Amino acid sequence: MNRENKKRKLDRNYFMKHPCTDSFTCKECGWPVVSNGAGSDHRNHCPNCLTSIHVDNKPGDRASTCHGKMDPIGVWVRNDGEWAIIHRCRICGKLSSNRIAADDNPMKLMAIAMRPFASHAIPKSRLDNMIRSMEGK
Amino acid sequence: MSKYICPACGWTAEDDDKEYNHCPHCLSNIHEEDEEGTPCGGTYEPVSIWVKKDDTWDIIQRCTFCGQMRTVPMQREDNPVKMMSVAAQPLAYPPFPLEKMEELTKLMGGRGDMEGYYKE
Repeated sequence: MNRENKKRKLDRNYFMKHPCTDSFTCKECGWPVVSNGAGSDHRNHCPNCLTSIHVDNKPGDRASTCHGKMDPIGVWVRNDGEWAIIHRCRICGKLSSNRIAADDNPMKLMAIAMRPFASHAIPKSRLDNMIRSMEGK
Repeated sequence: MSKYICPACGWTAEDDDKEYNHCPHCLSNIHEEDEEGTPCGGTYEPVSIWVKKDDTWDIIQRCTFCGQMRTVPMQREDNPVKMMSVAAQPLAYPPFPLEKMEELTKLMGGRGDMEGYYKE
């Protein structure tokens, strides 16, 4: 284990090749997060509030000096039908896409997906007019 | 006098000299240069909608070649059916059974429920 710790310290790209199994406390909501149960070796965000921390520039390199909190701003469906969360850094605005984990909060995920439908960015009157003209009246 | 022609779908603008930051028809664009300045040439495809705090929409685009993401603000001319389709994509392919959503949330001990809808 000692040798492993040394490797971790000296190899700059250690987490590109090895899974990270550390437990941590979410800095946003205080949720205690353990690494198993995610269905993947790479725990990226808090399963309760889905917030992430900006530590990587490329996956696993731990090279970012920003360390800002990353808010989930959207979800999208990848070509294989899997969902991924889009995170945006509060400080520098970097975007990153991450697979959802098996134990992510389903209510919170669905809330992000539902957000566009409650918004008034496309006014209802314009939609009404469009539907009427689509019907050819 | 040049008209905007979409490099992704071939849509041609009706008005001359109008600037678009993405095609209003297919919401796509061409990824010309990556962060280091090397040409990429992939297509920025719309993958999701970001609803900002002031209730304006940004389209999140992703390059099909290199996977880089960016956001562009929604334009007035944008195709509403295409926008709705992009926004509804996750709802059409849920990763868990929707009728079990509350049960699963309770199981993991997570916060949030759907009670707010039934309150007036």
